Amino acid sequence: MRVIKQKPMNWVERLYVFEALRGLFTTLKHAARGLFRYETLPAISYPEGQPEVRDTYRARHRLMKRPDGTPRCVACGMCAAACPAHCIFIEATASDDPRIEKKVKRFDIDHLTCVFCGLCVEACPVDALRMDTKKISFMHRTREDFVAHLEDLIDWDPKDYPEDEQSQVAPGGKKNAEALEVWGMEVK
Amino acid sequence: MSNYYNMPKLPTENSPKVEIFVDDKPVMVPGDTNLLEALKAVGIETPHVCYHPYLPVSGNCRQCLVEQEGPRGRMLVIACYTPVAPGMKIYTPASSARVKNARKATQEFMLVNHPLDCPICDKAGECTLQENYMEAGQNESRMRPEYGKNYHGNPAHQFIDAKGQLRGGKHVDLGPRVLLDEERCVQCDRCVRFMRSIAKDEQLQLAGRADHTYITTFPGEKLDHEYDLCVTDVCPVGAMTAKYFRFQKRVWLLSHTPTISMDDSLGANIWLDHADGHIYRVMPRCNPEVNRSWLSNTSRLAFQNFDKNRLPAMDVHKVTLGKGKVALVAGGSCTMEDLAALRMFKESLGDRAELFGGSLLKVGKPDGIAMSGDPVANRAGMKLMGYADVSEFMKRASEFESLITVNANLFGEDSAAAKVLEKINTRIALSAFDDETVKEATIAIGVRHWSEVQGTMVNSLNILQKLNACPVCPDENLWAPYAVLSHMAGTKFETAAEAFKKVGEYVPALAGLTYDAIKSTGKLLEGGEA
Amino acid sequence: MDIIESKTWIEWVITIAKFAFCFVPVLYILLLIPMERRGAGFMQDRQGPNRSYIKIPYFGKIRLFGYVQNMCDGTKLFFKEQFAPSGVNRILFRVAPAIPFAIVFLSPCVIPWFGPMVFEWGDQTIRIAGSIVDSDVGVLLLFGFSSLSAFGAVLAGWASKSKYSFLGALRTSSMTISYEVCLGLSMMGLLVLVGSFNLTDIVSWQEHHVWGIVAQPVAFFCFLIAAIAETGRAPFDVAEGEPELVAGYHTEYGAMQFGLFYMGEYSHICINSFLIATLFLGGYAVPFVTTETMQAHMGGSLAILCGVLAFLGLAFLHMIYRYSRKLKATNLTNRFEILREYKLYKIVAWIAVVVFIALGVSSWFYYNPANFVVNGVAVGSLATALGTALIHLLVLVVKSVFFCWVWIWVRWTLPRFRYDHVMHLGWKIILNIALLNLVVTAVIAKLLGGN
Repeated sequence: MRVIKQKPMNWVERLYVFEALRGLFTTLKHAARGLFRYETLPAISYPEGQPEVRDTYRARHRLMKRPDGTPRCVACGMCAAACPAHCIFIEATASDDPRIEKKVKRFDIDHLTCVFCGLCVEACPVDALRMDTKKISFMHRTREDFVAHLEDLIDWDPKDYPEDEQSQVAPGGKKNAEALEVWGMEVK
Repeated sequence: MSNYYNMPKLPTENSPKVEIFVDDKPVMVPGDTNLLEALKAVGIETPHVCYHPYLPVSGNCRQCLVEQEGPRGRMLVIACYTPVAPGMKIYTPASSARVKNARKATQEFMLVNHPLDCPICDKAGECTLQENYMEAGQNESRMRPEYGKNYHGNPAHQFIDAKGQLRGGKHVDLGPRVLLDEERCVQCDRCVRFMRSIAKDEQLQLAGRADHTYITTFPGEKLDHEYDLCVTDVCPVGAMTAKYFRFQKRVWLLSHTPTISMDDSLGANIWLDHADGHIYRVMPRCNPEVNRSWLSNTSRLAFQNFDKNRLPAMDVHKVTLGKGKVALVAGGSCTMEDLAALRMFKESLGDRAELFGGSLLKVGKPDGIAMSGDPVANRAGMKLMGYADVSEFMKRASEFESLITVNANLFGEDSAAAKVLEKINTRIALSAFDDETVKEATIAIGVRHWSEVQGTMVNSLNILQKLNACPVCPDENLWAPYAVLSHMAGTKFETAAEAFKKVGEYVPALAGLTYDAIKSTGKLLEGGEA
Repeated sequence: MDIIESKTWIEWVITIAKFAFCFVPVLYILLLIPMERRGAGFMQDRQGPNRSYIKIPYFGKIRLFGYVQNMCDGTKLFFKEQFAPSGVNRILFRVAPAIPFAIVFLSPCVIPWFGPMVFEWGDQTIRIAGSIVDSDVGVLLLFGFSSLSAFGAVLAGWASKSKYSFLGALRTSSMTISYEVCLGLSMMGLLVLVGSFNLTDIVSWQEHHVWGIVAQPVAFFCFLIAAIAETGRAPFDVAEGEPELVAGYHTEYGAMQFGLFYMGEYSHICINSFLIATLFLGGYAVPFVTTETMQAHMGGSLAILCGVLAFLGLAFLHMIYRYSRKLKATNLTNRFEILREYKLYKIVAWIAVVVFIALGVSSWFYYNPANFVVNGVAVGSLATALGTALIHLLVLVVKSVFFCWVWIWVRWTLPRFRYDHVMHLGWKIILNIALLNLVVTAVIAKLLGGN
């Protein structure tokens, strides 16, 4: 065990008065900043001013889409298995598309239970689930509204993710046309 | 290919013990079996894909390799096809790196052309390949993605996908109940052997040679057999999948309740796999004496109606009966506890009541696999409990003034013969389902289905078997039949264990038994012929 | 009727008008609460309460830099249900919060708000004292009043029938006793120098000699600490130390009853800062300028006052223009709303600046009243006297507001002392320093041949 001994105070510090004055000077500096340089305060006036959200921030989920707009999710349940909060509910069904066997029928994420740990994203074998929407606030009127359903999760616009190639493959994206060409290729 | 004659000999309690040397240590193993079973008997598990204890040995997967000391030095042999001999020297991966490497290489070979379908595969979680990979494989992939995979399969089903990869048939319709995924198949030929040796109806066949081998039916034929869903059980991978369970639930989310199928007097041992209060599938539970690993489609698919058309709970259990004679008829799915409670009710009524049991359905013949053909599951139990057959009651139906049926759908089973019952004034039906008898009844009381109660039954082999309650009852207020009947008789059985004590009073053969004393494979009663 | 006829009507008017000063501490509460809340916010790099607004039709939202929040909170406190826990002493429970608040109206009586007004009225020379009660024992009266507020705390703690309240009340009373002693003793040195308990005398001594802070720096220091401790504010707020006592003696109080305690505390700060300003910072005295000089150049003095106010207005305008520019560059969604509100403030401030400049220029050029000296006292007209009083009052307000700020500043800087440390500081350090200061002052005063 590492023990860090506190540095003994010298007599000036032990007098308290001078240290107290130093502290007063510090707070005075901050108060002056608030008064004369109000805009430099680090606090954000929240709903009007929005914080900058990093790319790696684990925000609201979204489901990636294939070029034809269907969710990439194959309903394997890996995210639900990895979820420590048990907030993901998946039901699968057989797909009508001959190239795809299994598709998702119901994909619910209860955001009231979710702990935003990101394990579901790590667990996804087909990169279908992501948490890069940068949507950090959840405001709804009822508890039921906090449950994100399949249609909510695939409701996103590729224009919001200009840097991400995978998002551009989705309908409306820049690479959708060429991806659709490959995707819609006649199979032998 | 597989040999018709070499059914594996399984060790029994009476097997002679011989001494062999495993990893240079002497161990006593059963002497009349193969090496794989012998090692299993002493707690050494050997990974295997094609071997199945109730199917003829084929020995084509080479996964169960062990080393044996022989005249030409230590040789790799397959444990499933090597009979145990006294004094033989065996080396397992615990001591032999060669065995370890050999198993690992076999595993890797098997995965070379196996698709990475685990996320969408219904077998994932109980797949032999996954288990073996975790045990023997754990190899990093040496595949070169630019070459792709070389999938097996029927050339007629092959296609080239958008990435230019040659693919096998992904959902080949083998029959009304089974789908085949040719990519996932590892050609262990278990299904072929099952249909050939167990079902005795060779509907499946291996076609092609070497890595072009694939499973198929005869041209124009379909896989359609009373036991065809058993091929999905024996399939070690997700190649054969049952249509009714396809994509319904991931298997690790299912809880398992061991119980007895009460629609046949053989009393096939089953697992009820349930989640969120619903039964998702029924799987055979291995019982060497009764149904081995097999289960008929009838028993397997019966669960789909367990929660349909149910009779709601009724809290009035006291009924007033007329002065005349009372007939108490127990149906085929009544447990021993229900029978005891009914008998207790009869005693409370006195001499004017008579006990009958059985059904109006025809009794078939045993098929030698997992069905005895008799729809009255607990017929042996009724005999022990002193119940007359229901045919006796049908002859003398006019004598009775009141009729109480317990899970006995007399009107539904033979509506023509049941016409005589309409003359009986008071017809009380205890039933799980809202069936024809309930519709004809003057009073109907909903009870729990046999999948939702604890109890015992005696099967046609005179084996006392234990049922467990699966927590899928649609209505918490429903009582078990024995609870309702004992309540009507005056003293309610709160638990099945109390009722079973009553069973012991009525049947001397069962006196002193408790549920804990009955093994999961049942207890053979005196005079049993099994 | 003799009493009435002993004074002219103008004397009576001014004397009665002076009672308005009783409400000064209450007005200070309106100033102190936003100062405390937003000041605390700034010190902690927050913004402080700034969200509440009044919606004006056809204009938009008026936020008054967050001042509306305090109005809302006050309204809420006022209209909340007043309840008492079962088992309390009903009468005392209701009376207790009123005591500290009632004291507020007594204490300002002895504080000299301006220098003695001397002016010519008819053929009489009228002299009106700067305090409501020009008592010779003014300081002692003030101490007496402020000690009374401890009664409120003690009664509240006892009537609440709560162990937390009771312990808080005990701590309050013991702290009041301890620091009253220090407070009195630390001031003694100054009184030795002045030779009077009359606050007006003390101020005029400082005006003509040096300020108390220069003459008695050690006493000032001790007095400041003791005054902070006596108000029971951080770092001496052990009486309501929330880690151990929930909220001290007002644990069981809610609504306006709690509000009264709250307001009593702020008025106590106000009174104490007036006291410090009076005792050590020259009270109403303008620095470096005597009242006589000021009266001799009344027009110029008023012009300088107007200039200062105009400068403050310009400084405010500079800040608001600067911040409007910065705000325009952000992407706050409500920035145009705020900017429209700021436009209103700009207009008001510009009008105020123009008015102050005009007033200043006109008084500089056109207001030069004649003064003459009677018995060594400058005597001017009523207008001159009123102008002097105004300047004095503003100077005193500035000084006291500074000390109010010191209270807030100290509270949000220093962590709370432990209870035994508070007692240690009071009895073993401050008291001894104050005693030593008194002895040294007395010896030096005697040696230098004072009175």
